[in-house]
Amino acid sequence: MTSPSAPVVATGYPWPIETTRLDNGLRVVVSEDRTAPVVCVNLWYDVGSRHEPAGQTGFAHLFEHLMFEGSQHVAKTEHMRLVQGNGGSLNATTNPDRTNYFETMPAEHLELALWLEADRMGGLVPALTQETLDNQREVVKNERRQRYENVPYGDAWLRLLALLYPEGHPYHHATIGSMEDLNAAGLDTFKAFHQQYYAPNNAVLTVAGDASPAEVFALAEKYFGGLEPVASIPSAPSAHLPGPATAPARETVTAAVPAPRLYLAHRTHQFGTAGYDAITVLAAVLGNGRGSRLYQRLADGARIAQPDYIGSYGVDLAHAPAPLIITATAKDGVSVETLEEGLNEVIAGLVTEPVTPEELSRAKALLTTAWWRQVSTVGGRADTLSRYATQFGDPGVAGYRLPQWLAVTADDVTDAAKYALKPESRVTLTYLPENGESA
Amino acid sequence: MTLIATRPDPGEARPYTFPDLQRVTVAGGTVIGAHLPGQALASAMLLLDAGAARESAGREGTATVLAKSLEEGTAERDSAAYAIALESLGAELSPGVDWDTFRVGVSAPVPQLLDAVRLAAEAVRTPRLDPADVNRVRDDEVTALRMDWAQPGPRADAALRADLFGAAERFGRPMHGDPASVAAVEVDDVLAFHRAWLRRPGVLLVAGDLGTLDLKALGEAAFAGTEGEPLAVEPPLGVPLRAERKIILVDRPGSVQSTLRIGHRAPERATPDYVAMTLAATVLGGAFTSRLNHLIREVKGYTYGIRGSYAMSRRFGRFEVAAGVQTAVTVPAIVDTLGEIARTEQTGVTEDELAVARSWRAGQLSVEMQTPGSIVGALSTLVVHGLPDDYYETLRRQYLETTLAEVSAAAGAHLRPHGLTLVIEGDAAVIRDELVAAEIGDVVDSEI
Repeated sequence: MTSPSAPVVATGYPWPIETTRLDNGLRVVVSEDRTAPVVCVNLWYDVGSRHEPAGQTGFAHLFEHLMFEGSQHVAKTEHMRLVQGNGGSLNATTNPDRTNYFETMPAEHLELALWLEADRMGGLVPALTQETLDNQREVVKNERRQRYENVPYGDAWLRLLALLYPEGHPYHHATIGSMEDLNAAGLDTFKAFHQQYYAPNNAVLTVAGDASPAEVFALAEKYFGGLEPVASIPSAPSAHLPGPATAPARETVTAAVPAPRLYLAHRTHQFGTAGYDAITVLAAVLGNGRGSRLYQRLADGARIAQPDYIGSYGVDLAHAPAPLIITATAKDGVSVETLEEGLNEVIAGLVTEPVTPEELSRAKALLTTAWWRQVSTVGGRADTLSRYATQFGDPGVAGYRLPQWLAVTADDVTDAAKYALKPESRVTLTYLPENGESA
Repeated sequence: MTLIATRPDPGEARPYTFPDLQRVTVAGGTVIGAHLPGQALASAMLLLDAGAARESAGREGTATVLAKSLEEGTAERDSAAYAIALESLGAELSPGVDWDTFRVGVSAPVPQLLDAVRLAAEAVRTPRLDPADVNRVRDDEVTALRMDWAQPGPRADAALRADLFGAAERFGRPMHGDPASVAAVEVDDVLAFHRAWLRRPGVLLVAGDLGTLDLKALGEAAFAGTEGEPLAVEPPLGVPLRAERKIILVDRPGSVQSTLRIGHRAPERATPDYVAMTLAATVLGGAFTSRLNHLIREVKGYTYGIRGSYAMSRRFGRFEVAAGVQTAVTVPAIVDTLGEIARTEQTGVTEDELAVARSWRAGQLSVEMQTPGSIVGALSTLVVHGLPDDYYETLRRQYLETTLAEVSAAAGAHLRPHGLTLVIEGDAAVIRDELVAAEIGDVVDSEI
């Protein structure tokens, strides 16, 4: 065996990146790669659920659904039919920070994808009908039932956000929104939403794969160049927070769950900062893989946690200190108190027992693989470049993330733990089975 | 504001190619490598003819317990040392079991793949399998299944499978067993399964930059110390069908959605109708604009999504529609679903629908096959089903050339709307009366 050591890499993005900006403010990013005859078109709109005012939770995501229902020159149902009917894969997602839309196509259909995206950026409102809104409202309510209400522990994320971020903070409410707000959603609100936020100067268009920068820039000008910018785009409510919470928060939920489970969460640093890079490495040391501290000590060692349901991860939010979430589920016959004690001890150990070179190397090796997996498709690459262009003003910054992870030291991890993982800043969410089983 | 009104025509298509394949026979086994130049990561998969079908009756889940025990230490090192050695390469083991195979996958940066495969082989060929560890893994797996079965879906899947294939038959029991059968697994079952099936060479699949990877060295690592000849494939099970529809109600009190699993048996993967059936199912329930998703989601708003497809293994196949629908509209959603299945069976598909299905399926062969992991998966299909190296080029051509008449004929021959089993997992107290009154079929309560 070769001795394990984290590889040194100069960049996490070895493909070319070319950028331009149209007169209307649309930023265009191109990353050419002729390996396979496929191309991804990806758009980030700088609008997410953090922009939603009280009473309109879930609107950014419901709006995302409406973007698939036709636009000025694209009849209802045509968008999906044209993408899939030409061999492509497509989707869109909304999170607190932003909304993204993407399709990977056989390369000969690049122009079709750009035409479709331009038409719904510039021409959604004329096609928007009450019937479409009513239908997609029901679809989204079923999405909420399926993903959050009808599964054990499904509402954990909704509860954690409310515990992590104070009332009125743009991250306090979850992107899926409340049933009440979704029911109250009116057509005019969505027309106004589109006119405010779906502007060329509020978006980044990235094309990655089998296309040249010159070709893409010309097509972007052709299809998007005629769209008017929006003069004043309303900013999201202030997301400023001084840092980790100063008082612990705790919630216990008794529900139809099969075993006691804990979620411990902390506000840490914003995604994109050196502090958050340290948190990312910390999360891998602590809870990624069978060699992690949580697995070794609680699943394998003390055997109080179920091995399939233990881990820790950061949620990469960029506009306020982002959450680190640590979760474990009790083994049969283990009380939730015992499990919590065990978790607290392992977390405290991040400060008192410095991370060893082997632990650091293991974590960095796993993060390296995760990074290369993320950029192994043109879709993953396009989304990464759109993110860095939107959130940091420069897609080229994407290449620094992996080297910055690899530069994190054991002291950085200890400092991150000291700063962010204090018991007094901890959110503790506990699920207990209704029948008291296993407790 | 100016938008371009006219939809652009496509540009010139580049020819489709599947990665170049290389085969190496070494140390009694075969390595198949797919060349992906420029990829930072490489993937490997050891494919063994040791699927769930080889488990003993009443001990379903034995192979899964074995898969989960492989990393509990090897002849060389204990479980902690093993985890740290493997993960320090940036690699994680993904052992898995399906009906036809036992597969152990591993991905790593190209320079680390050989060491990762050595470690994977160490776990597969020489696991420690200490009885205390195996018993603990077995108990953990019972708990994990109980966790899984608390979600909507697994109980409905088990009820459908039992009805279609027979609760007493291996194929009528869940692929990974159920909490009771896994609880019955003994250490000796796990040891015997390992001894019988995991010491055979199998096939090693590799996808990555073959300019750097040494297929011979990878094969030597994977096949060292193995013996045994390839096993004969057993014949297909046939396609027995129900004469009348049957409804099985799985009670999940308080459920805000009903989970639907609706299906019947179908031919095995080797059927000459495979492409035509796939295209018919794409029109019915595969594409976003499919008949089912269009009506049940986009027109009626009953669901977040509904899918219909054929799943086929070496010995059997199955048609299935799966969805979660709001509890209050359970019966109308079922009636509409049955209507679309019957319409497709009786009148086939249209040229417009088929055009979407053809292009989508053909395009997906390049769009969804970009990564080493996806290419290794594609290679495993070739091996399991005995398909030639140029299969994906052929499949693409077949998708594009299969005629409307052939696809409609496949829908007519392989959809059986009157022989369906309908499993509904939901709040029985709320939906039972309406379900009985709808006279779709006899309603029985599940014992699962």
